[in-house]
Amino acid sequence: MDTAFAPEPRARAVALFNYTFLLLVLAVVAGILVAAMAMQYLKGELPCPLCLLQRVAMLGVCFGIVLSLRGGFSYRYTGISLVSAVFLLIVAARQTLLDIYPRPGHAYIGSAVLGMHMPVWSVIVALALLLAYAVEMAVLGRAASLDRVGIERFPRLQRIAGGLCAVVVAIAVINLVSAFVQCGLGECHTFSYKLLS
Amino acid sequence: MMVAVLAAMSLALFCGYAGRRGLAVGLFVVSLCLAIGLFLFEIYSPDYGFRMPWIQVDAGGPMRA
Repeated sequence: MDTAFAPEPRARAVALFNYTFLLLVLAVVAGILVAAMAMQYLKGELPCPLCLLQRVAMLGVCFGIVLSLRGGFSYRYTGISLVSAVFLLIVAARQTLLDIYPRPGHAYIGSAVLGMHMPVWSVIVALALLLAYAVEMAVLGRAASLDRVGIERFPRLQRIAGGLCAVVVAIAVINLVSAFVQCGLGECHTFSYKLLS
Repeated sequence: MMVAVLAAMSLALFCGYAGRRGLAVGLFVVSLCLAIGLFLFEIYSPDYGFRMPWIQVDAGGPMRA
């Protein structure tokens, strides 16, 4: 990134819009992960293996955004978030199809939120992410100066981004510890926390 | 396996946060590959393979009004 580069007002406005968009997406995905963890710890609903993989995919979406917010915007990092969103869609759609027809040993895990269970919500989240990125690219895709205007040009946004990125790292570490307590080093099950039973 | 996936993703996020972008992307790729492998392992059934016969319809049957 060229720190001596003085952006024209339009380039600055476009970059501000872009970083604000990334920050909003990061906040929404982090909020979804916190909600899922709250349901796990407060309501005792243990996540299934595919549920945990959906969390991993959401963390992957966050990872692309963290790189853009901490090291300067790049469409390469947007690609990382998009790959993760597609992985989220594949896992969530497969889990929805696994449980959509009630049969012995198969049912949606956990309680419904607004009438829909977590994997169905994950499908919606993944589609919303893909749509949001598509619109963002359609609107800002031609702006060549995006990767030349760093977030340090917007100190307040940079402080918020730094804090939110740290929260996302903490969410990942909490999920790691939680998965270790639930699964140990082997397969994951939803009966109980393996290391506590 | 799930712990390995989440450990690689957590490290990737931490490295990305700390500015070690090359290492972070490498760890992300490791995490994604492990996650894809785990996903295929989880959805594979000894009885059905990767098929989902409970949602298949009789596409070759006669049309019903």
